[in-house]
Amino acid sequence: MALPDKINHNIGYLCTDWQVLLGHGDKPALIWISYGRDEKRISFKDLMFQSNRAANLFSKYRINVGDKMMILLPRIPELFTLFLGGLKVGINCCILFTSIGEDTLKERIDDSGTKCIITSKKYLYKIEKILSNLSKTPTVFIIDSSDSTSKFIGIQKEISEISPDFDTPNIDIGQPSHFHFTSGSTGRPKGVQHLHGAITNIADSFMEVFQPSPEDVYWCTADPGWVTGVSYGIIGPWVNGITQIQAEGNYNAEYWMNILEGNYVNILYSAPTVFRMLMQNNDSFYSRFNLMKLKRIYCVGEPLNPAIIDWGRKVLGKDIHDTWFQTETGSIMIANRPGIDIRPGSMGKPLSYINPSILDDNGHSVPPLQKGLLCLKKPWSSMFSEYMKNSKSYQEKFIGDYYITGDIAYTDKDGYFWFVGRNDDVINTAGHLVSPFEVESALLELTEVLDVGVVGVPDEVLYEKTIAFVVINDSIKDIRIADMKLKLHVSQKVSSIASPKEIVFTDIIPKTKSGKIMRRVLRSKYLNEDLGDLSTLEEY
Amino acid sequence: MDIIQDLNKVFREVFNNPEINVTSETTSNDISGWDSFSHINLITAIEIYFDIEFTQTEALSFNTVDDMIQSIINKVNTKKR
Repeated sequence: MALPDKINHNIGYLCTDWQVLLGHGDKPALIWISYGRDEKRISFKDLMFQSNRAANLFSKYRINVGDKMMILLPRIPELFTLFLGGLKVGINCCILFTSIGEDTLKERIDDSGTKCIITSKKYLYKIEKILSNLSKTPTVFIIDSSDSTSKFIGIQKEISEISPDFDTPNIDIGQPSHFHFTSGSTGRPKGVQHLHGAITNIADSFMEVFQPSPEDVYWCTADPGWVTGVSYGIIGPWVNGITQIQAEGNYNAEYWMNILEGNYVNILYSAPTVFRMLMQNNDSFYSRFNLMKLKRIYCVGEPLNPAIIDWGRKVLGKDIHDTWFQTETGSIMIANRPGIDIRPGSMGKPLSYINPSILDDNGHSVPPLQKGLLCLKKPWSSMFSEYMKNSKSYQEKFIGDYYITGDIAYTDKDGYFWFVGRNDDVINTAGHLVSPFEVESALLELTEVLDVGVVGVPDEVLYEKTIAFVVINDSIKDIRIADMKLKLHVSQKVSSIASPKEIVFTDIIPKTKSGKIMRRVLRSKYLNEDLGDLSTLEEY
Repeated sequence: MDIIQDLNKVFREVFNNPEINVTSETTSNDISGWDSFSHINLITAIEIYFDIEFTQTEALSFNTVDDMIQSIINKVNTKKR
């Protein structure tokens, strides 16, 4: 889809009003499935009116262009209309994972200077716990209450009565639209800023990779707190006028297969971890479901191992296509897609307008089959514009005209890209990036913990799992309770995703002479491998 | 013993939410933060609290709190014999 040059590039407008102008007004934009398996259909016209109501409400409360807003809601229709309404006003929006821990929530509100948070009664307790400790008190809206206090504003009745008409102002493509947080190997997770201009790449990549027919039903299972959930669970399908499914609730094989079958899903976009979980069912389980309508399956977030592709062909009778992108890239950069032969284990080929290269440490291109840094020639429209309040880290992500992805890869002689690993210590668990530093910091808050080192190790289901090596003080009597306390602490302070799968109690954390944790040694120790060169070790 | 009350204590501790009131019909969809990652912590906490152990298959099969209660009762009774 090519957007007309002179059109308003506001993402909220293009996903709603523009779709109505194109004649999609009565078409379902969203098929929403509740916990109780009830179904609700929201047309593009409804999406336009409801996002307009949200935009009017924000304007009334003086949440204006450039202000930052966070949404802490589960996958319910209001999440989508409030997000789009915020974009229409020009508010810089961020959708949070509902599993977010209290310390992380506080840091993200403070770091971004968020002016407004939207939540529901169910999640309000998370905000109540940190509200008095925030450096600046945000406006807090509650969507399922009409009562207000000095701290919270219940908007349920008000938003239903406010005007459904809103004239979306023209917006510059360089206007900030939405942001996510991503983990690095050092320091706190960084706010990754995207712009309204990102819509071009998101729209084009959606069509080039997923190749939907106008009447297709598309289902992206990614949480909207993740870049995939926004780029391809909100913007990509809707800016292209495609009907999409959103389902409440957690992963459950039977539930998901029922949705695929019962809602005639044509295109599924999910994560390798989901397929590794599906693979745990007997093949006969799948013979109960008629997936004739399902045309294509795509994956994102972790390397797609060939075993999953083989399983998809054998059990589901479908190809599973890998796609690769990052929070920073904002949209798919490299993919296996219809029209290109799948090479199991490869990431696929770059999209038609993307120019990746494999570079050595000095920024020189390396020949095929030689490993190096996977880099992308800038600019492209969905490229992040900054790490919030961290321009140094942003500058460090570029070498000449290239963005350094942090992934190590190589190309084959036919131009396919092959992922090898990361060049940092970030842990990829079930497609979520976890910072070892963040987990270590949380654990060191506990008086029982004297020292800690956190690493990721391979896992059959999650791709990688988080392991914490911990030195505890002598007063601990019951290791089992200590183990639980440590895991819960990380879960509550950071997020359940970051909570270590295993705690290994140890006497010492290996460090270099300059005090840096030798994660390579910890990994080898866990995997019972040769510890390698220990000459730089301070003590072990 | 009142298992549901004891379980409620564990849930409140694991999910750091004193407002939680589980019933036998409660599912993961009813509790904020009960996802596949925190489920592992929940299972470990229940094992510690009741001094029992679940197999991996058991731990993954719980769809409701009632499923947990039945399993806990069976294990506690087996231990008493």
